[in-house]
Amino acid sequence: MKKIKLLAVMCVFMCFALSANAQQGSLKFGLNYNYSFPISGFKNDLISNNSPRGFMGELMYSFNDKLAGGLLFGFQDYYQKYPRAIYHLSKTQDISAVLSNSVQTTPVLLKAKYFLTPSSFIKPYVSLAAGANLIDFKQYFGEFGNSSTSVGFRAQGGLGLLIPFKKTSGSGINIGASYDYAPYKKNGYKDLNSVNLQAGVVIELR
Amino acid sequence: MKRLVLMLIGLAGFSTVYMSCTKDPVSNLSDDESRIYITDHDSTLNFSNYKTYSISDSVAVIDNQNSTRELTASDQAYIDAVKKYMNQAGYQLVSKDASPDLGVDVNHIISTSTGVISYGDYWGDYGGYWDPYYWGYPDYGYYIPYAYSVYQIKEGAMSIDLLDLKNASHNDKINVVWTGLIRGSGIFDASVADAQVKALFDQSSYLKH
Repeated sequence: MKKIKLLAVMCVFMCFALSANAQQGSLKFGLNYNYSFPISGFKNDLISNNSPRGFMGELMYSFNDKLAGGLLFGFQDYYQKYPRAIYHLSKTQDISAVLSNSVQTTPVLLKAKYFLTPSSFIKPYVSLAAGANLIDFKQYFGEFGNSSTSVGFRAQGGLGLLIPFKKTSGSGINIGASYDYAPYKKNGYKDLNSVNLQAGVVIELR
Repeated sequence: MKRLVLMLIGLAGFSTVYMSCTKDPVSNLSDDESRIYITDHDSTLNFSNYKTYSISDSVAVIDNQNSTRELTASDQAYIDAVKKYMNQAGYQLVSKDASPDLGVDVNHIISTSTGVISYGDYWGDYGGYWDPYYWGYPDYGYYIPYAYSVYQIKEGAMSIDLLDLKNASHNDKINVVWTGLIRGSGIFDASVADAQVKALFDQSSYLKH
């Protein structure tokens, strides 16, 4: 399964690379505030609260005026406290506790970005990314908790707009949204999938 | 170069701010929310077959494999609360010499020599904390007829145990038929003892007659 995922990532980047010109482009750094909405298994089994605590950054190289590729990284903190309830630990053993779930994700992904109308002032784009997702999961009964750290797969599909500061500028304001697929097969959980909204700046480094 | 330095500074600052904004689940709990109540019991028993009980007159203080007995205001409040909820559950308090069906022990676990022990180990040392002689069965040992291995005690807990004295002679041992464990912030306080014991009995409806 891991090999298939790796192959898929490589195929995506090869397709982009083959369609790119050899022309040397610019290097851009983007830093975005990220607001995250847990969905599917993440929302149903672990944390339903949205997370306003996160960011996503990227370092992208422009192959030409349409295509860019690079590295995406980020951090998001999810947390939810559930009211006191009785949980059955075994046939005879019960625990009454306030349950808290805390999840931190740190994606490190390879990303490709395709600008749909590069000649327009506002530049809409679509993006694909895939790579590793560092996951720190803590679960507490009252003040007594367990934690586990793991690395999983993560893939992201996104779209957005780059609004340059000036017509000739490579820097500007970025707004976007993404769907993040992040399987998490532990302790009966399924995934850490999310929908994310981003807003931030892009700075042309050279 | 200047832009690269700005990028690195911005990234470091952004990361630091967001990492520090991570919600700490423990600091986000009140004392009440920090507490947990664990109960376990012998599911093969019908508790309505037990009518009377007697309760220890002090609390066993377990500290690094050593035990002493004490009776602080908090200890007395726990003993009183156990009597209250045992009576409400339909059991009759009798003296230790009146052949009670159940013996009730209250224990204050301060710490352990290893820092973390399993609850099973705690039971293994049980005889050292409340000698069977106390209940009039000097030659018997204690026994737990149900699995109790999931949870671990670290530091600071109150535990309450119900002992089967009615069938001790028949079983040649004193079976521990119910246990309740209280852990969390602020539990060693007379003013909160009643609520802690109530929580244990509330989640043990099978104890009621």
